[in-house]
Amino acid sequence: MSERLHASRVIASRRLLEAVITPGFYIALMIGLLAGYYLVVGFAGAIDSSGFNFQLHPIYDLIARSLSGAFGATFVEKLFAEGPFLFALYVAFLPILLYLAVSSVFRFGLEKNVGAVELLTYGPADGTSYFLAFFLKDVLLTLLSVVVLLAFFAVAAAMNNLVLGPMFLVSLVLIFFAAMAVFAYGILASVLTDSAASSIALFIGFLVLFLLVQMGSFTIVSRYVRSFSGLLSWIINWLSPLFYWNLGLAAAEMGGSGGFLLSLLALLALTGVVLYASHLAMRIRGVRP
Amino acid sequence: MKRLYAIAFSLLAAAGLARAEDPVRREQFVYSVLAFNGKDYSGTFTIEEADSFYLMAGVDNFLTARKTLVYFWPITGDWKMDSESLNQVFEGKVELTGPGGRPLELQRERYTYYNVQGEYELNWKVDRGAAADAAWKRYEEIVNSYYQAMNRHYEAQAAYETRLNELSLRITRLREAKRDVTALVEELKAMQAPEPPQPPRDYIVPPSPVQEAFILKLPVGEYRIRFLVQDAAEPDRWRVMEGSEKRIVVFERRRTNGIGYEVIPADKWTRPVDSKTPSSVLYVDGTADLYLRPFFQDEFNDLAYEKMRQNDAKGNPDLLKWVRLQQVPQARIQVVRPGDGPQEVLEAPYYVEQVKGAALGYKIVPFDPQGAHKDRDPSLRAFQIPIQRQNGVIRLQVRDKTGAPLPGGGRQIRVVVQSRLRGLLFLLAVVPLAVMAVVLARRSRQVTG
Repeated sequence: MSERLHASRVIASRRLLEAVITPGFYIALMIGLLAGYYLVVGFAGAIDSSGFNFQLHPIYDLIARSLSGAFGATFVEKLFAEGPFLFALYVAFLPILLYLAVSSVFRFGLEKNVGAVELLTYGPADGTSYFLAFFLKDVLLTLLSVVVLLAFFAVAAAMNNLVLGPMFLVSLVLIFFAAMAVFAYGILASVLTDSAASSIALFIGFLVLFLLVQMGSFTIVSRYVRSFSGLLSWIINWLSPLFYWNLGLAAAEMGGSGGFLLSLLALLALTGVVLYASHLAMRIRGVRP
Repeated sequence: MKRLYAIAFSLLAAAGLARAEDPVRREQFVYSVLAFNGKDYSGTFTIEEADSFYLMAGVDNFLTARKTLVYFWPITGDWKMDSESLNQVFEGKVELTGPGGRPLELQRERYTYYNVQGEYELNWKVDRGAAADAAWKRYEEIVNSYYQAMNRHYEAQAAYETRLNELSLRITRLREAKRDVTALVEELKAMQAPEPPQPPRDYIVPPSPVQEAFILKLPVGEYRIRFLVQDAAEPDRWRVMEGSEKRIVVFERRRTNGIGYEVIPADKWTRPVDSKTPSSVLYVDGTADLYLRPFFQDEFNDLAYEKMRQNDAKGNPDLLKWVRLQQVPQARIQVVRPGDGPQEVLEAPYYVEQVKGAALGYKIVPFDPQGAHKDRDPSLRAFQIPIQRQNGVIRLQVRDKTGAPLPGGGRQIRVVVQSRLRGLLFLLAVVPLAVMAVVLARRSRQVTG
């Protein structure tokens, strides 16, 4: 076990070095920060004598109308109650998350396809330590990104006399834990498939499924019974990082620190379960494509 | 001939339009629901396609079963009831099956509901049976005595005006005749117009005329309901009315006694906004003072609350929403500005005046009952919070009449001024690009070196 961890650490450090000497991570981070910048500046420009007025900024007008139509006015009211940072955080984090997850999935699939993983398993590492290294690299870069986003938004808040808000801080912690589960699903997708393209397709399939189910639960409805889709989404929810993320947000909103910690634990457990499933799949399928 | 065609075409088109605007009415069995929504009663009904309706737990709600015409009104996007054309209330009973599984039969009861004056706005009362008749009778007596007092007032007013005219005429004639009118003028000056009687203030909402309905006061849970009518052939047998089987979802408040604020900017008093989320921040641009009205609010499930108020409404099943109930009575607001000690602001009456000149608009000024606003009512009662652009952060806390802070009653007002350092923030956003350039340059140098 310690050898596997050592191997993972060594491979992860090499992967980290590769990530910081290639442009991808910087570009993803910059796209996130620019999106955050645009949203914060837009929010500050859409304030009038009565408060935040969506109609004063074309992008916010579009966002508010779209979100209200899909999820209802209450959703939008809560999203912007503390300021722009909750929404800006999600928008800014998305390109970073997608870049890290998709690049790892692609790289893992590619290396498995060309036999690099197989070659490595003849040496000191096994397939599990190899994917754990990817996971470690992604978690560390996510941590770095979260710190950068926090620093950037704190500066933006100070410049415009805005506040980050308690839900922003809660979300910052939650998205880090949720991102770990997403990376774990990326690894599972890589292990279950034989090529880079199919692993990306499967991974995106996972994300879209979780996103659709989560959006479905937020979508305004007019009927009580949601029958089959309700049952299906109930089952999928137990596997979805977004479900636990939402539970954590709801617990924090109610002021329940116990519920919030439970949701973090649930995300950790989900990550562990998915990684273990990847380990089992790797053992069954082997490292050959 | 062409003109004839044109007229015929216009008539046909108009007829087509008229038909298009006239929605198809369908005869249906409906439950007409008068539900208590936390602050007052709102009416809704269930169309046949609706599988459920929603009620709040632990309060009296009124239900009637009737046959009526329903139609979809596309302009507002909701279902409407044409009870003027058909409104047949069914005689019968309802059968409720709750979480315990044992059916419970309910009969119709006579009832009235009303809201009496009190310290709080919410003093709803429901009377049933003889008590309902007594409440209605009492209300009628109050109204009748008021009308009698008004009649007496009209008579006194007429007598007063007659005497006034008489005296005026006599004084005029005597003056023309150059005679002494001192006594008559004194009498004229001493005359006082009779005071009109005060309208009854016993009720905020007077009792509704006594009606019959099934009164549902249920604990939280899901219930099945169906309406039973006596079989015409066999009066001992009860049969289930077709289309009457529905589900009742009885829900409760998630949190109660939260504090929200109605925020009225001085330059847009007709467009107030609400601050409901306890952690919300009031961002303003500092160009106008704010007038605040704190209110109590309760938190409900969005879908359940919306569907309770209107059964065909939409809502978000996974979100909770705060619902404004009533103003906080005798509240005071503690205001803390940077560098200042806490100040206490009290509620005061204000009057809205139209700005003269081409600029139009309104301004809110303190209500002056003796001077400029004599014989008028204040436009609003609120807490004035002066705002200046250099204020930065103003912290608020609602306190009750004893001065104790009310939980969830804290807010921040932040004056947002567009930062001149926006360029710097943009540069910060592109820092990763600069770091990337440095790293790649170093890497390139290392490799080529």
